[in-house]
Amino acid sequence: MTELVLFFIFGALALVGGLTVVAARNPVHSAMGLMLTLFSLAVFYVVQAAHFVAAVQVIVYAGAVMTLFLFVIMLIGVDKAENLSETIRLQRPLVVLVGLTVVVVGVFVAVGGRFAWITGVVGAGPEVNGTAEAIGDDLFTTWLLPFEATSLLLIIASAGALALAFFRPRRREGKEEGAP
Amino acid sequence: MAPDIDYLALAPEITLAVTAVVVLLLDLFLPRRQKYWTAIVAVLGVSFAALPLIALAVSDVGDRAMLGGSFVVDDFALVLKGLFVIAGYLVLLMSVGYVESDRYYQGEYYFLLLMSILGSMVLASSRDLITLFIAVELVSQPMYLLAGWRKGDLRSNEASLKYFLLGVLASALLLYGMSFVYGLTGELTFAGIAAEGAGKAGEPAFIMAILFIIAGFGFKVSAVPFHFWAPDTYEGAPTPVAAYLSVSSKAAGFVALLVVLYSAFPDASGVWGPAVWILAALSMTLANLTALRQTNIVRLLAYSSVAQAGFMLVPFAAAATTDAVGLGEAFAATVTYIVIYAFMNLGAFAVVIAGARKTGTGDIEGWGGLGSYAPALGALAAVFFFSLAGIPPLAGWIAKLVMFGAAMGAGSPWMIALAVIAAINAVIALVYYARVVKTIWMDPVPATAPEEEVRTASVAGSLGLAIGLSAAVVVVAGFFPSLVTFFSDATKVLAGG
Amino acid sequence: MNLADYLPIAIMLLLVIVFAGASIGLGNLLGPRRPTPEKLAPYECGIVPELEPSQRFPVKFYLVAMLFVIFDIEIIFLFAWAVRFRELGWFGLAAVGIFTALVIETLGYVWKRGALDWNIPRRARYRLSHDVADEEAA
Repeated sequence: MTELVLFFIFGALALVGGLTVVAARNPVHSAMGLMLTLFSLAVFYVVQAAHFVAAVQVIVYAGAVMTLFLFVIMLIGVDKAENLSETIRLQRPLVVLVGLTVVVVGVFVAVGGRFAWITGVVGAGPEVNGTAEAIGDDLFTTWLLPFEATSLLLIIASAGALALAFFRPRRREGKEEGAP
Repeated sequence: MAPDIDYLALAPEITLAVTAVVVLLLDLFLPRRQKYWTAIVAVLGVSFAALPLIALAVSDVGDRAMLGGSFVVDDFALVLKGLFVIAGYLVLLMSVGYVESDRYYQGEYYFLLLMSILGSMVLASSRDLITLFIAVELVSQPMYLLAGWRKGDLRSNEASLKYFLLGVLASALLLYGMSFVYGLTGELTFAGIAAEGAGKAGEPAFIMAILFIIAGFGFKVSAVPFHFWAPDTYEGAPTPVAAYLSVSSKAAGFVALLVVLYSAFPDASGVWGPAVWILAALSMTLANLTALRQTNIVRLLAYSSVAQAGFMLVPFAAAATTDAVGLGEAFAATVTYIVIYAFMNLGAFAVVIAGARKTGTGDIEGWGGLGSYAPALGALAAVFFFSLAGIPPLAGWIAKLVMFGAAMGAGSPWMIALAVIAAINAVIALVYYARVVKTIWMDPVPATAPEEEVRTASVAGSLGLAIGLSAAVVVVAGFFPSLVTFFSDATKVLAGG
Repeated sequence: MNLADYLPIAIMLLLVIVFAGASIGLGNLLGPRRPTPEKLAPYECGIVPELEPSQRFPVKFYLVAMLFVIFDIEIIFLFAWAVRFRELGWFGLAAVGIFTALVIETLGYVWKRGALDWNIPRRARYRLSHDVADEEAA
């Protein structure tokens, strides 16, 4: 019962956030709307007893990724007046068409009902266990290799960010490399 | 609590990771004129990574599996790891002169390249969705950055951005498909998915998942219609990076496709076979027709590599309509093609780097008369381009032969149709490959060509070594096909079961 | 389902909403409003602001944001380890130690590259460490 109530409250909030993202004129407001959606999703994860995912959702998405979004909005400058004219003709009809196709296919797949999802009822069995403890155990045994590889991905990100965002100095004439 | 770790099986990866980190740190403490040490350390690291591979190949233990079967070193993994190490070694050799000649971040360049090689090594051993995905990212992410390494050039910026956006889209599709697979089977290891998914081949969600995964890897191997990034990225990226993209990165995509389709979805070959049939036919035909009109040598090679991806996909399509033996044949055919393609395409790119330095241009017209003032380079260009076209006795013909063998072996009308399409395309491809060779040998030197000393300047030693090694493999393997088929036959273990 | 455990958080959330709403609402309702241009200007330590706040930021900020994200992600992995560090023992410590060392290397790398320097003169700002070493050698 509580689960249902929470679902409706935070489902509604997630939708409000999603609509704000696309409808808000000010990009910063869009970012705030996205934050609301991300946070509502974190509540869903808690309700499903996926505590670790909820923590990731709040720390990484609502925290870091949103900060990055705001940084990018600041970096490219906030233009109050958004240019809404479209450069690609037939863009909107095409979007509607593609969107409808996706919805139809999705409904067909979902209502077709010839398959059964493996769903995890909380505490029902060892198969699905989203607590931080269970993930800690798995991460350092079965998934040790991807875990260590992730740290390499993080170094790649920083080395790449530095190499691309920082220009090398333009040296004075005659001091090019090759000169003695 | 601690998992059992076979350190010998992980030794190549550990060597590469340590080398990469050392290169990055070393670069910080070297003065500008001694930056070449980063290249030396990188080359040494890749060479040392090959030693444990040899030890693993001759050891009696057989297949080594660890971490719950998610990391496996079997014959398939060893052959592909060997290929990735050698290809990475050749790309490093090509890079040395190229990176030094311009204002590049050298340490970071080699660091990122080593990381990508490391990713492809992990990929060859990964036998579950999570390790596979991390490995794919480890291969691709350095490439997004390296494609934009010529920061002053707008085309390089475009190359990087296009590749990044489409690559991330591909990763998203891939993850979406994987999440469906996990939701339907509750399994992450390929063996588990194959067992759980056995009866599910007809379910819409399962079909959708497989199609998403194929689309995701379709971007990585640049198969039509997921190839749009390839020509622009190859043209804008530094040429050694383009060589790496067209060989190692593409081979990594194929390895992932091979492992996922043959070992995770063996019962659903009726689903992915036809899908790959379409990709193969489209890739060969569209890319070859577009390549005919190219005037830039790198763009020509880009479309050529898309078309070659089409040829490599042909045996996949054959797997749908064949029995267990044919499945192994189809699998080995793709591996054979990848191995041979790697050497001839790396050689072609190395020749392009050397030729672009001599002629001062990437336009094919500007290459007129290259054969007259650089006969050795002209001859080697002919070797690689004719090998790509599949002319005996160069290695390319074996690749084509086993590909046609797999297609005809399946025997269904659809596969015979695909074989006919491939045959027509092989002829079209010959036209544009031969046109380059004709320009090099038959056309006069254009008036815009640079002066004598630039044209006759000797090729950098490391680049020459890369060209020589590739040429040796292409020529020798052409005369002794068993050199290649010995390795690809060993990889059948994965498809056989 | 033991959602009752989250009751304090729910109450807390409610209090936050009530407090924030009340602060803003009551302030608007009760406070006198006599705007002058000085009062409406953004506060910049008493200096008259020269630029609109929507000016673009230097790309250097991007690197800081990137570093923040990287360390944020590291924290997530440390979280998974921290809740089980007794059970994981020395092996877990070694695994997380390698991970952390690699991520810390990032910090050292960015530091040595000079990307964290903000106060050096503009002309020298983009000089990288190896150029300094270069000139010292010359």
